[in-house]
Amino acid sequence: VEILKKLLPKWICTLLTLLLVFMLPMETMATSPNQGYIWDKNGRDVHSINGYVYETSIDGAYLTTGPFSSPEDIFIASDDSIYVVDTGNNRVVHLNTDLEVVKVIGDKEGPGVLNGPKGVYVKDDGTVYVADTKNQRIAIYDNTGKFSKELLAPDSPLLGSNFTYSPSKIVVDKRNYLYVVSEGNIKGLMQIDSKGDFKGFFGSNDVEFSLKRFLTRLIATEEQKAKLESVVPLAFSNLTLDKDGFIYTTTLGTDVNQLKRLSPVGVDTLNQGEKKYGDLIDYSETFQTSSFIDITVSEDGLITALDLTNSRIYQYDKLGNLLFVFGGNGDQNGVFLTPSSVDQNSEGIMFVVDKGRNRVDLFRTTPFADLVHEASTLYVEGRYEEAKKIWEEIINLNANFDIAYHAIGKALYKSEKYSEAMEYFKLANSKGDYSDAFRQYRIEYVRENFIWFFSGTILLFFLIRFGIPALIKQITRKRKKNKQEMVANREEEVS
Amino acid sequence: VTIVHMMRQVLTHPLDFFYDIQKPNYLKWSQGFLLILLAFLARMGSLLLVGYHFETREAYEISFIFEFIWIFIPWITWCVANWSVSTISDGEGKFKEILVGSAFCLTPYILFIIPITLVTNIIALSEAEIYTFSTTFVFAWVGLLILIKVKVLHDFELGKLTLIVFLTILAVGIIWFIGILLYGLLSQFISFFFDIYKELRFRL
Repeated sequence: VEILKKLLPKWICTLLTLLLVFMLPMETMATSPNQGYIWDKNGRDVHSINGYVYETSIDGAYLTTGPFSSPEDIFIASDDSIYVVDTGNNRVVHLNTDLEVVKVIGDKEGPGVLNGPKGVYVKDDGTVYVADTKNQRIAIYDNTGKFSKELLAPDSPLLGSNFTYSPSKIVVDKRNYLYVVSEGNIKGLMQIDSKGDFKGFFGSNDVEFSLKRFLTRLIATEEQKAKLESVVPLAFSNLTLDKDGFIYTTTLGTDVNQLKRLSPVGVDTLNQGEKKYGDLIDYSETFQTSSFIDITVSEDGLITALDLTNSRIYQYDKLGNLLFVFGGNGDQNGVFLTPSSVDQNSEGIMFVVDKGRNRVDLFRTTPFADLVHEASTLYVEGRYEEAKKIWEEIINLNANFDIAYHAIGKALYKSEKYSEAMEYFKLANSKGDYSDAFRQYRIEYVRENFIWFFSGTILLFFLIRFGIPALIKQITRKRKKNKQEMVANREEEVS
Repeated sequence: VTIVHMMRQVLTHPLDFFYDIQKPNYLKWSQGFLLILLAFLARMGSLLLVGYHFETREAYEISFIFEFIWIFIPWITWCVANWSVSTISDGEGKFKEILVGSAFCLTPYILFIIPITLVTNIIALSEAEIYTFSTTFVFAWVGLLILIKVKVLHDFELGKLTLIVFLTILAVGIIWFIGILLYGLLSQFISFFFDIYKELRFRL
């Protein structure tokens, strides 16, 4: 007991020193607050390497223009300069690539003053289109920030009588047509020409026929019908335009096909059938579903979308395969309070607007993400052979990356190594491609072993032609013999 | 008469076979259970031997207990339901004949499902019709044998046969419904007493 008493203070001392050591500020590393993950072929979330890490923030307090107030949108122009829609301050702040203020739009008195703007689009020549939400108009400024004109609420019988114009997000295509998301409008994107005339709705989310709904309507009484939730098409929440003129949209209030790539005629070319974006867990109906509120597309067609429900950002390749997930809810750097918008510059740096913290967070790609992006671009272009080497490196770094197996399988298939391709398609759980490779392998196998198959067929032919008839003859002869014997036996018995 | 001979008979001359089994002491109870066991083995074999691209489930999603239940329970309930329904409507079949006879109806499945499954190892998905057609054929054969069995064993004409088959399916549904209901109630009942016991143990 005495020894213990002597030792105890020593133990406490060592513990205290250890504690102190850990309490000392350590050198920070570029770690992400979250472990990266990806959804695998069996629908499980497995570990993956992070694709994006937090780099820095643009905080309005350190800019000459003062702090932001609930910024709602960000737009990176083709020259990589940054436009932040500072909704609470009723202005758009233009920053250059060094994150210094170039100009402020819409804060000067006059016709160009903004009121609760929520979206911005900047053409290559620097013309700025602002969705001036509370003024119910699109305000247009020239490249010096001077107000040039406004497009007021369009007038058309197509819009219906109780239509309220509340433009929140816009893009402008090469023909100077505006595609406008009007909040709460369920008929699709509004197409408006450069004179402000309404040209029609674009790419609406149609309500599909549902047997259950049809039967319910058939049986329900008038009172019950009134109580039923009215079924309306889903509203778009945001949109972006890629270099080929395709419009990418996000849709709220659904579990499937939340992201769409609309062709110039308004047809979704991203999803064949129903595809789930965001986290794949099936929440019960009382739980939240994902709500994508912004989307951005890179030069190479990588799609990055922001989910407000869990504040996470999902990146997909051009075919809709998940590549990376980052962000989340929280107070640390690298996670968000209330994210509102996402965009990227030509170097692949991701800008995420955190409305809750009034700042813009910048994320850079990890070396792993650079590899994946390079491989994915080559793969989507159909250059499987070149992509193969990079995919192999990716698998070495992260064996959970299922699309790499699939891509290598494709490359092997292209170079006519069918049995190896089969192995990789098996690993990627891609049964259709496995079957195709198998078909080719079978042809190859038969061709290589032609002698055996040929002689086997001839053998089989002779067996069927001569062997079987002979066998049948023998059996019938035996039976006859048996019968005769039996008859003879019986006759003997009788006699 | 061996079981192999009987299986051959049910495939080639089903009508004669079902007449024959009505002879006294022709059938053994054990034959029925043996055939069900064989059907279960054939089922497991077909799950095991199917080509990768024809797999519909991952290996970990397959439980041999469940596979057995999915053969055994429908068989037993079908026999009980069919016997009950046909007995009250002047059917002549005995329970033993129905039970063992239905097991013999599975003969085409037992014999042919494994060869058919082996074919999936040499065909591609684009030729899947071969596989689906032959499996449907086997199942249709089994279905036809069951119909013949009901007709011959109970000596029904066609109109009554359809009625009885319909009633039997209905009865199977009712048996399952009651079974599930009983299971639910019973587990609630048991958990109620278990809760009381736990509560008492906390208080005492």
